[in-house]
Amino acid sequence: MKKIIEIKDLGFDYGEGWVFHKLNLEITEGDFVAVIGANGAGKSTLLKMLANVIEPTIGEIIYYGTPISEFENWERIGYVPQNPGRAQKNFPISVREVVGLGLLKGNSLIHRFNEEDKKAINEIMERFDLTDLRYRKIGELSGGQQQRVFLARAMVKQPKILLLDEPATGIDTAAKADLYAMLKKINREQGVTIIMVSHDLELAADAAQNALCLDHGICFWGEVHAALKHHHKHGYFYR
Amino acid sequence: MIEMFEMEFMQRAWLAGLIMAVICPLIGSFLVLRRQSLIGDGLGHIAFAGVAGGALFGYSPVLSAAVATILGALAIERVRVKLSDAADMVLAIFFYSGMGLAVIFTSMNKEGGFNLGSILFGSLMTVSSRDLLIVAALGLCTVLFVILYYRPLQYLTFDETSAKVAGLPVDKLNMLLAVLTALTVALSMRIVGLLLVSAMMVIPVACALQTAKSFAQTILQSMAYGIIAVALGLTTSYYANLAPGGTIVLTCTALFMVSTLLGKKKTGNKPAPTPCAHCKVCEEEAKNEG
Repeated sequence: MKKIIEIKDLGFDYGEGWVFHKLNLEITEGDFVAVIGANGAGKSTLLKMLANVIEPTIGEIIYYGTPISEFENWERIGYVPQNPGRAQKNFPISVREVVGLGLLKGNSLIHRFNEEDKKAINEIMERFDLTDLRYRKIGELSGGQQQRVFLARAMVKQPKILLLDEPATGIDTAAKADLYAMLKKINREQGVTIIMVSHDLELAADAAQNALCLDHGICFWGEVHAALKHHHKHGYFYR
Repeated sequence: MIEMFEMEFMQRAWLAGLIMAVICPLIGSFLVLRRQSLIGDGLGHIAFAGVAGGALFGYSPVLSAAVATILGALAIERVRVKLSDAADMVLAIFFYSGMGLAVIFTSMNKEGGFNLGSILFGSLMTVSSRDLLIVAALGLCTVLFVILYYRPLQYLTFDETSAKVAGLPVDKLNMLLAVLTALTVALSMRIVGLLLVSAMMVIPVACALQTAKSFAQTILQSMAYGIIAVALGLTTSYYANLAPGGTIVLTCTALFMVSTLLGKKKTGNKPAPTPCAHCKVCEEEAKNEG
């Protein structure tokens, strides 16, 4: 399998000591990685670094052989931040508008949606069962529906890598199961590489292939069911 | 009614007012939705310092106000990005410092050089052709900026982090928006006054938020509310012999109350029902209601 993400000697410090230090990892194409660990272990920090939202203190991230600072093909990366809908509860934006935002790229500042774009938006809404909700305001939807909208926004440009920051937070168990089933389908059928920060190893285990446990460094990296077995026996992988 | 438009100064007042009614809510939509509703007010304090400084050192008050507000807006934007958790506190420090500077400049100035009343409350009835030209140019730039960059601006207003991940030049767009906000405050101050500029940036948007269902509707409706407020306000002030600036602001407030009622009526004051794709009970209920 082709390696598409390389993490070399990565470290991050908010100014109060290392969140993690000397992280080394390679992620291959088509993998589905669940990033787990206790609160404050650096899971979301790692994801934000992969999304280039924050810069590492030391070390580097390489996408498709190109250091992240020089990487330009951001349309290959889809990103779903933590609780995006809840943060914008009263924002006057329709489901269709949110999904359409996913088509914007760095080089398309003056962006007018052409017929192809409109077709892509309609298709992705159909696929994520959002067509009936297209004119509803995002804040009117349930947590599970909002998460489908943000997933559709990330998927509308057909990315190769999907970065998800605790996508199941704040949604009920049934919606969580639907969400993980949807992610599994995206990974297995479309070959999209997924890196997902998660607290529900049990639920995520069916969808993910590998687990990365962080505790200020890597304390487990391997097959997800082995991680689950260990987790049942000993809890998290504290070093 | 026609008689009001026979006088040249009223024609200019109407034109300037209507241009302000479009550009203030247009820029204000982005500010209010980014929870920066008070930035217009704050920049007003800084503009006041600019006017007072200009009068003291012998520069054009409008030019010095424009320079001061642009520098202030860029500094506030940088602080907002660096210290997002304490942004409102730092914003307040900027505002009070602007006011402090204005007081010092005013006390040092023994020769006058500007009319405090017209800076704070504007003098819509004394708008000159030159003022009108400046505001029209600003209006054109603002409308073009929003039309050209509508979607990136929408993205960074809604979810700045994801816009950054998508590769959009978020910092540059934020800076451009800050400069346009500063220019709107500084150049409109002579016409509608510092107090009215910020009111026109916020209240029409607040009205639109009660009734709009999408981002595009919010922008269009806020401009419509702005135009209605200026038209009603100017007409009332003309016939009732009231101050135009204050009448326009109070008309905006009245419109806000009306829009709140309209918004409640539209949604029935409760969230719309969520369709359920898999639930038989919901399907039955929908059939019965249908």
